[in-house]
Amino acid sequence: MTNTQKAKFKLPKLSRASLSERKARKGWLFVLPFVLGFVLVYLPIIIDSICFSFMKPEIQTNAQGSYTVVVNHGLEYYRKMFSSNSDYVQKLLGGISQLLWEVPTIVIFSLFIAVILNQKMLGRAVFRAIFFVPVILSTGLMEKLTVQALSGAGEDAVDDGSGVNAKNDLVSAVDIEMLFSRLQLGTAGAGVFEGVAGTVRSVYSIVNYSGVQMLIFLAGLQSISPSIYEAARIDGASAWETFWKITFPMISPMILVNGIYTIIDSFTRNNNSVMTYIDGVYSDKNQSLATAEYWVYFLIIFAIVGIFGGIVSAYVFYQRRE
Amino acid sequence: MDNQQTKKNPAPSSAVITKRGVKMDFEGKIPFRQRLIMRLTSSSFWIDRVWYLIRFILMLGISYVILSPFLQKIMTSLWSTSDFSNSQVTLIPTKVSFEIYVKQAKYWHYLKILRNTLLLSTLTAVMQTFVTCMIGYGLAKFRFKGNKLVLVLVIITMAIPHRTLSLSLFQHFLQFDLFSIQATNMPGLFKLITGKAIRLTNTFWPFAILSATGLAFKNGLYIFMMRQFFQGVPDELEESAYVDGSGTFRTFFTIILPLSLPMMITIFLFAFSWQWTDSFYTTLFFSSSSGSIGLMPDLIGTIPRTLETTNGAIKTAYYEAVRNAGGVMIIMPLVFVFLFCQRYLVQGIERSGIVG
Repeated sequence: MTNTQKAKFKLPKLSRASLSERKARKGWLFVLPFVLGFVLVYLPIIIDSICFSFMKPEIQTNAQGSYTVVVNHGLEYYRKMFSSNSDYVQKLLGGISQLLWEVPTIVIFSLFIAVILNQKMLGRAVFRAIFFVPVILSTGLMEKLTVQALSGAGEDAVDDGSGVNAKNDLVSAVDIEMLFSRLQLGTAGAGVFEGVAGTVRSVYSIVNYSGVQMLIFLAGLQSISPSIYEAARIDGASAWETFWKITFPMISPMILVNGIYTIIDSFTRNNNSVMTYIDGVYSDKNQSLATAEYWVYFLIIFAIVGIFGGIVSAYVFYQRRE
Repeated sequence: MDNQQTKKNPAPSSAVITKRGVKMDFEGKIPFRQRLIMRLTSSSFWIDRVWYLIRFILMLGISYVILSPFLQKIMTSLWSTSDFSNSQVTLIPTKVSFEIYVKQAKYWHYLKILRNTLLLSTLTAVMQTFVTCMIGYGLAKFRFKGNKLVLVLVIITMAIPHRTLSLSLFQHFLQFDLFSIQATNMPGLFKLITGKAIRLTNTFWPFAILSATGLAFKNGLYIFMMRQFFQGVPDELEESAYVDGSGTFRTFFTIILPLSLPMMITIFLFAFSWQWTDSFYTTLFFSSSSGSIGLMPDLIGTIPRTLETTNGAIKTAYYEAVRNAGGVMIIMPLVFVFLFCQRYLVQGIERSGIVG
């Protein structure tokens, strides 16, 4: 695009940059706050944090009393984390495989709900308001209430149907068990019951984790011109065809945003298994080791985001593109 | 009624003027009854109805999934003391009591907390909305060298789990300086000039600095959203402004900002409500040992002394109710803000004229 513009504005021989280049440079002014902040404040913080993962705090004493100094520890923590007696790798693989299932589910679910919420329906405004409630709470306020009440038991804690846990659960596992025992399914029932209980529980978490995505999709859907749909209807397109040939391409930039956001959000959520594990290490007076583990985890997230972004952005359709 | 009246009047058979307007009567019009039967027997009519019903039931069900924990939390927080030891009470209180709320509000000085949190959230949300809008615009509309690099940096800030940086974030604002790397004892710019770093913890400054530079909590998402939004805005809009002699910044302020208002409201709401409920950064920058100024997350942090109970049998349930009451008190003001902004939230985007 820049090349074609350059060709168009063939200025008489000037040593200065072309108009479009000068305009492009003004872009720096817009991103200046971020760049300045990143270089002057954030980068040192990141560097310090990385340095911290190579260092070991040691308590030393002198005449004034004891104080903590950090000494170089080399790659010791990184070796320790991948050694056989650490279950970090195992947790990591388990967590990633679970999240790779969760991320597409959230994106597809939120797109589905956004499409439904965009259609005319009785009480649509009320439903929209309700569906945005999880957005407010995505900092984990609800979980904090529940987790503290359960005295540290995570959301994935097995529900035995007794006490507080059952009350917080949407559908008590015991209820489902009773339902299935009445159905006289025998041993096969146990497997089905586990499956149903698991699905119900994950419906709850998926609904609660897709609030932001739903909002972004809805904003995207609203920006599609109704005249395109009209034209398609006149040409005899069915609703199914309209979705795949119009809605889907038009919403694809938002799919990119939501995909990346969902990956990052689910991977860095406080209650996922890897984060919980590393938090445990952190509060176990192993801050340096935990920081090292966080950084390895970050690299993995970043690689996944990169792969996803690279693949999807090749297919994203921008209406503006000439 | 109108029909009977107009029938008497000798009017042209094709158009009848009634009180409500002109009624056209086409020749060979299918009678109502026949039309009804045709409509009821067509498959598309029933498919539409069934789909509508499925949609409606689905929405109802998911709404229940979202709201049921709230209902449960609100209900238990309204239990009176006797309800806790009554095993028959599971959800609805026998007598509604606001005792827990009153005691919570008194202990924590709720109005002070409300004021502090409102100030902090508004300050950061306004700054973040404006700054991320600007950065997103710069990334979307200007193809300067390093554009892609800045975008990658934005995604990096979004992807780093914020707990990774918690320790060094705290240290860097305890001794705030520009470009100082503490691990290598490299002095920053302030230290080089004035000889000492500035202590910024227990003030609003860390939030202001992070917000003004688009580095605060989840700002990467806002920047990215804004960028995607501006990518869809046609270039012709700005080009026509440039042709009319408007400068880059004037174009941004007078044309782009009003245009992106719906998106900005969305981001403002995100920023506002996430700052409101955030306890990670607030506990990091306001260490409670030196006297917290009092912010919303305090309400669910500890049990107030005035609400402590010695009855072991009801202790768990009672403390849970106290926490639930705290949670409700945190969320309530947000709900009002939310209801107020809700109609601007999504509906506005179609009015903005960004449609191609």
